[in-house]
Amino acid sequence: MKRNKILSISLFSICIIGFYFLLKLPVDSAKRIEPFRGPERIISLGPSITKGLYLLGVENKLIANTTYCISPPEAKKKEKIGTAVEVNIEKVFNLKPDLVLATSLTNLKAKEKLKNLGIRVITFPTPGDFGDMCKQFLELGRLVNKEKEAEKIVKNAEKKANSIKKKVENLHRPRVLVQVGTKPLFASTGCYFINDYIEFAGGMNIAKKAKEGIYSREQVLKANPDVIIIATMGIVGEEEKEVWGKYKTLNAVKNDRIYILDTDELTSPTPVSFVKTLEEITHILYSGK
Amino acid sequence: MREKTIRWAFWTAVLCSLLLGTVLFSLCIGSVGISLKKIIEVICEGNTSTEYSILFDIRLPRIILGFAIGGALSIAGVILQGMFRNPLVEPYTLGISGGAALGVCLNIVLRLNHTLGLFSLPLFGFLGANLVIMLVYSLSIRRGILKIQGLLLTGIMISFIASSLIMFIMAISRVEDLHGIVFWIMGSLEEPNWFLIKLSVLVSILGLIISYRFSLDLNAFSLGEEEASHLGINIERTKRSLFVLASLLTGCSVSVAGIIGFVGLVVPHFVRMFVGSDHRILLISSFICGAIFLIFCDTLARTIISPLELPVGVITGILGGSLFIYALSKKQAVLGGK
Repeated sequence: MKRNKILSISLFSICIIGFYFLLKLPVDSAKRIEPFRGPERIISLGPSITKGLYLLGVENKLIANTTYCISPPEAKKKEKIGTAVEVNIEKVFNLKPDLVLATSLTNLKAKEKLKNLGIRVITFPTPGDFGDMCKQFLELGRLVNKEKEAEKIVKNAEKKANSIKKKVENLHRPRVLVQVGTKPLFASTGCYFINDYIEFAGGMNIAKKAKEGIYSREQVLKANPDVIIIATMGIVGEEEKEVWGKYKTLNAVKNDRIYILDTDELTSPTPVSFVKTLEEITHILYSGK
Repeated sequence: MREKTIRWAFWTAVLCSLLLGTVLFSLCIGSVGISLKKIIEVICEGNTSTEYSILFDIRLPRIILGFAIGGALSIAGVILQGMFRNPLVEPYTLGISGGAALGVCLNIVLRLNHTLGLFSLPLFGFLGANLVIMLVYSLSIRRGILKIQGLLLTGIMISFIASSLIMFIMAISRVEDLHGIVFWIMGSLEEPNWFLIKLSVLVSILGLIISYRFSLDLNAFSLGEEEASHLGINIERTKRSLFVLASLLTGCSVSVAGIIGFVGLVVPHFVRMFVGSDHRILLISSFICGAIFLIFCDTLARTIISPLELPVGVITGILGGSLFIYALSKKQAVLGGK
């Protein structure tokens, strides 16, 4: 029992000494924030940000991006530092970026860690609507010293979007469901910019008022959309189309108006690709594909 | 007696040197290759280069947190397995991890971490864990007696309830939040906050010291509760303190690092095969062995498919499970408290 006591006392003192050293570890060594001159080495953590940087013509300053950044094709060749969600901090730090552009998908702890290491991290949340998207694009342009280019691109996109809006103003408004996930069924609701595709193209989003989350198939049958747009890639989309095919009462099934769109184009847009996709959707809604 | 002391000293020395080796190995390996020569240079030169920052600001915090979490979970496992005399009990069985996960999920979904800061995540985790501890404790105490079997069942049920509630939250949450929840639940040793890392180290080491005070009581428990009380141990008080101790260790670990499975279950068994089931040596060697195991697994997780990182739980499960089965087939040791 006595030996026991001696042992635990000595253990305790060892721990205290160890802890003391631990406290003295270099904590703030990384916080050497240098005066900011304008980014020369940018890392993008989101596909839409990568696309935006290419649009603004600063791709030579983009040193790395994520494995999700597949558009434009040249972006695939850039160095990869992880996915849009998980970021390899060590690699990012070693590339010595002066600006890291993150999204709301990026791991919170990773962002915090990079900030602690003295790297400038700017987060672009998923845009709520087209206006948001344009604002973010202007912000991106400001960050990389390409304000004028960004303004020009946004103005152009806004002009095109408005002209499409005008064109469809007095047409019949079809009811539309944009499905962004299968099994379980996810519909794009009013809280996301995808809603703007439908509204600008003159459609009515049947899931507009719903909260984000799993959508009920019964609700879809009841609302009876005229058009269903499936935003999933490849085989899954085809399968989902067959699934809808079973519900013969749906107008969209009766008239064979179920379409599959590329997810990447739809869900990670820039103002430019937004207009492009909008044109496509308008085409779908009014003339069939 | 003397022989025993020598044997224990031998094991402790072996494990300590293994720990040192693992720490150095983990420090040298990463997705950015830094050669050993360069490392020595960098350490001598001091804090000016990128390499220095990578070693001491990115890799070292992970190693230290791995040490703390691995150790804490392992001794929590030893305590609970000894107390319940049940080889299948592990720190997560009692629903503590479920409570912590629920707290964190609520925080993420209600977006409290945006207003209160990132520090509120572990705080909510810890609150959730404590809530479950109190609930389990008060449900299984009857007239001052802690019913061991009741404790176990209540804990398991609460962890089921918690996981259903988490699923409910996930079903109604926004897509961005969903990622946060899933990644938190997977567990990770990445922690930007130095204060939390230091706190985990302090908690785990204090936990080791306090549990060491109970090692003889735990030895007596392995004979059965009645026998232990005949040996003059105040079993009710001991049970209560051990339960609270193990729960707090688990709660702290889970709220900082998320749910890293398997460490608390496998490490105690594995160590018992080598050092025997005397808790005086079992606790210390489990602590060190758990630390070694978690640091090693984390090193693999962050390098194996670089630049991508695997959740550390993937490695702990695969490596721990297969290593354990291998050891078991080699050495037919008796599981459990014997």
